[in-house]
Amino acid sequence: MADTMGHTASATDNMTRNTSVALGIVLLGLAPQIFELVWSLGTLVGLGAGRGPLQVVTAHLTALVTSVPSLIAVLAAVPGMILSYFSPGSAAAAAKSTLSSDELLALIYSYPLFAVAILTLFVRIRAPQDYIGGVVLMAVALFALWASSDLQGMHGFSFGAGTAPRMFGVLLVALSASIALTGLLHEGEGLSHYSWRGPLFVSAAIIFFALAIRPLGLVVTAFSSFLIAAIGSHETTWLEAVIVGACLTLGCAILFPYILGLPMPMFPRFLIQ
Amino acid sequence: MMPIRSFAGACLAALASLCAVAPAAAQKYPTRNITMIVPFAAGGPTDVISRIVTGHMAPTLGQSIIIENVVGAGGTTGATRAARAANDGYTLITGHMGTHAASAPLYPKLAYHPEKDFEPVALLAGTPILILARKDFPPKDLKEFVAYVKANAEKVNAAHAGIGSVSHVSCELLNSILGIKPVGVPFNGTGPAMNALVAGQVDYMCDQIVNAVPQINAGTIKAYAVATPERNPSLPNVPTTTEAGLPEFQAQAWNAIFAPKGTSPAIIATLNAAAVKALDDENVKKRLLELGSVIPAPANRTPEALAALVKSEIAKWTPVLKPAT
Amino acid sequence: MDLFANLAHGFAVAFSPINLLMCLIGALVGTLVGVLPGIGTIATVAMLLPITFGLPPVGALIMLAGIYYGAQYGGSTTSILVNIPGEATSVVTALDGHQMAKQGRAGPALAIAAIGSFFAGCVATVLIAVLGAPLTKLALAFGPAEYFSLMVLGLIFAVVLAKGSVLKAIAMIVFGLLLSMVGSDIETGASRMAFNIPELADGLGFATVAMGVFGFAEIIRNLDHGAEMSRDLVQQKITGLMPTRKDLIDSAPAIGRGTVLGSILGILPGGGAVIASFAAYTLEKKLAKNPSRFGRGAIEGVAAPESANNAAAQTSFIPLLTLGIPPNAVMALMVGAMTIHGIVPGPQVMQKQPDLVWGMIASMWIGNLMLIIINLPLVGIWVRLLRVPYRLMFPSIVIFCAIGIYSVNNAPVDVILAGVFGLVGYWLIKHDFEPAPLLLGMVLGPLMEENLRRALLISRGDWSVFLSRPLSAVLLAIAAGLLVLAVLPSLRAKRDEVFTESEG
Repeated sequence: MADTMGHTASATDNMTRNTSVALGIVLLGLAPQIFELVWSLGTLVGLGAGRGPLQVVTAHLTALVTSVPSLIAVLAAVPGMILSYFSPGSAAAAAKSTLSSDELLALIYSYPLFAVAILTLFVRIRAPQDYIGGVVLMAVALFALWASSDLQGMHGFSFGAGTAPRMFGVLLVALSASIALTGLLHEGEGLSHYSWRGPLFVSAAIIFFALAIRPLGLVVTAFSSFLIAAIGSHETTWLEAVIVGACLTLGCAILFPYILGLPMPMFPRFLIQ
Repeated sequence: MMPIRSFAGACLAALASLCAVAPAAAQKYPTRNITMIVPFAAGGPTDVISRIVTGHMAPTLGQSIIIENVVGAGGTTGATRAARAANDGYTLITGHMGTHAASAPLYPKLAYHPEKDFEPVALLAGTPILILARKDFPPKDLKEFVAYVKANAEKVNAAHAGIGSVSHVSCELLNSILGIKPVGVPFNGTGPAMNALVAGQVDYMCDQIVNAVPQINAGTIKAYAVATPERNPSLPNVPTTTEAGLPEFQAQAWNAIFAPKGTSPAIIATLNAAAVKALDDENVKKRLLELGSVIPAPANRTPEALAALVKSEIAKWTPVLKPAT
Repeated sequence: MDLFANLAHGFAVAFSPINLLMCLIGALVGTLVGVLPGIGTIATVAMLLPITFGLPPVGALIMLAGIYYGAQYGGSTTSILVNIPGEATSVVTALDGHQMAKQGRAGPALAIAAIGSFFAGCVATVLIAVLGAPLTKLALAFGPAEYFSLMVLGLIFAVVLAKGSVLKAIAMIVFGLLLSMVGSDIETGASRMAFNIPELADGLGFATVAMGVFGFAEIIRNLDHGAEMSRDLVQQKITGLMPTRKDLIDSAPAIGRGTVLGSILGILPGGGAVIASFAAYTLEKKLAKNPSRFGRGAIEGVAAPESANNAAAQTSFIPLLTLGIPPNAVMALMVGAMTIHGIVPGPQVMQKQPDLVWGMIASMWIGNLMLIIINLPLVGIWVRLLRVPYRLMFPSIVIFCAIGIYSVNNAPVDVILAGVFGLVGYWLIKHDFEPAPLLLGMVLGPLMEENLRRALLISRGDWSVFLSRPLSAVLLAIAAGLLVLAVLPSLRAKRDEVFTESEG
């Protein structure tokens, strides 16, 4: 998420820098919607079940618009809302039930982040590391609040399923807001540099492992994943990697299924039959 | 509805199931190892019973049976995996009263149906359920217990080992018979629940006989009754619920082998024969009885009898558990 | 004395050749399991359970127990060498242990971990033999209210072990608590923040998150441009293998205190052992003359938690041996092993099965001796492993971690989740958030929430139980005191700290 705004700008062009940060935050505020859109592309090729891309776009756009009245209503009743969030049978709960999940996402997650983005345009960020760290963490907390919004709250003296997640969600919003605030008040470190090669190939190796372990078995999977991960470093030489990878695969093939007795397929399924 | 959530979930689920493509069925069964999914932790009552029985079934079938413990969500994770497995007879499951009866009303979004997604194979053994209480709980026998909890329904606490556990569902049955709604205190498994009962932090609970016998013998907890028609040889002094005046409360944590839907009848028959043979073995019998288990009568060991049992059990648990959550 | 007769009997049982062999196998497998990242003791004991079918019950249990405490020895190895804690208890070891390795002192760190564990193991074994029965009362005195207060105290420990900003550490703890909420709710069974993903129905696994934010994130960071320099430095400046005299003098009191804390906390069946290692770490950091050394390679920061977690691993057998109640998942499996042999442990197991109980206690001492004999020579080999070029090391670690995570539940989705947490961890490092408090929040979260809810259910919503029950009140008071101690200096020193650290 933050990788998208990972480039370090010089301190001189403060305004352009803030605009890009603000744009990044807006993008973050739409991240779940965009994520669902990307997933929904899978339905086009028949992968998985769910809403198609068109439905996703229209549903979220409508939700963003239709939740505006409730947003205004909420803003008008902020103190009451905060109090009633924890209590049973409250007005907020009643209001919630009328809102769709998409609208709640817009209300709980996207709009607060848009607000932060707008705010970003007007402040001087002294410690980008802290400020952006705080904002992204706040996004996580808001997302958790949305994700737990359908859970039951307190009933009588016993906690509901949603009480604790919401409590900690609100707490994390507060904490991350203060972290972001320190990033505005104190001078601090700038954003560090992100590289793409290591993360990309290590992730690719992990994903390949996860997809291949069942159908292809330990031997093929471990060896291929080793080589994929090895691309992640520019120091890798091929011959060496292949030799070490082969030895490691052999070692794993003996160690895990035989010595430790873990049940895992050894060879590709089509070869066994 | 939560479109994003269910959608992302569906995608990940599809991803997971992609990895489990079915191999074609073999002609002469069995020609390779059979996987038996046990949806509970190794060492638990269901696990021990399936290990004892499959240990004897394997030589009969001429192939080894590998137990795979797939733990989670009250056993429904393992059952879901079994329901989706290839119906070639090489993936079986030891289900029990929770996974194949009580789960239907308990989990509205259950990914399988206990009746429709499985072929019953054979009933293995049941473990009777006891009504237990902390050692200084005032009532002396079951009659007093019934009167006491009814009079103090607001004050008593009932422990259980987590939603969907045998102790939870059987306690719900007891409570619904008594018409009370005590505060249910959930624990993570039988061990912690028993610890709380021994320490006197909770008042009563229902649990399988295996875990409770040594504690009862040592006097750290007390047992009011066993919920089976006959007394159990490992606790000869504990009366049955019928003797003690609560005949409506009958509960047994039965364990049984199931195969995924569509497994051929020939394979089912082979497996059933092997299981029945195992239950007749003296050594198996002895070890099951040591656990306090009840071995089913020959008439109850057929797949048809198991199908009937599942049907009747679902009918029994549905009204009890539906309003509970 | 009865005790000596019992112990003599126990040693007679444990010294039989078959039991010695079982003990050795257990110790070896345990070390292996501990060293391999991700492969948990629970999974291994579960896998080996069927093998114990064919063994005599005493031998079987001696072996399973060996795996359990052997893994505590091995668990420190990956924490120190590659910064991957395999179990919750070795998270703290990674903090200073890995820093020591970076300074070329992996040898002393590994050795002191083994020595501390050995000492703690010996003391705790004697404790089980002598005081096992009376200590049981402590286990029973802890109800939900006490556990809740203990977990609050544990969270405060997590704040103390952060080396940077307190605010960020607290935020990480809360983030961890939120992550721990994923999965089914204990009371209602409702699915929380699981997005209908079946693999999330029981929550995020500790191994998944730990391998991600520690293991994969560390690898990814080491692949950054410019990171090669510091890595090569690690490989070149390896100094002595064994701790110096000064190291030993520094760690001796830490080992002692760690042993005491671990022994006490280990008895509590509801998660006491989990917080033993960070309680010990916190204590050392608070007692130290110069607390700023912690997190930067202080040897006490390895010695204390390692002693504590091994002591706790031993004393956690007490509830099992005296009450017949398994305090954790591994012990539950051992009960399963006993059940398979027709022994159902209960309060009378000590009288009814003296062979089993005293044989096991005696074997623990023998096992600890074996473990130190196995582990000290291994230090040389482990340290030599650090000389393997990183370009070959990191893909190997990726593979080992992936296999380890997969083996926990045989679930490919877990591996992908660990990868996601790897990226999260990378991001956290870039924004100067520490992953250790996050993991501790995640481990303690469920224990805290469940016990809070249990306590409130039993008290019918009366919050005063936490203060009216003396043990709970004392624990909360300690927690409050520690929090004040942790926050005050950091508020005061904030300005100077910013000033001094800005040059770094």
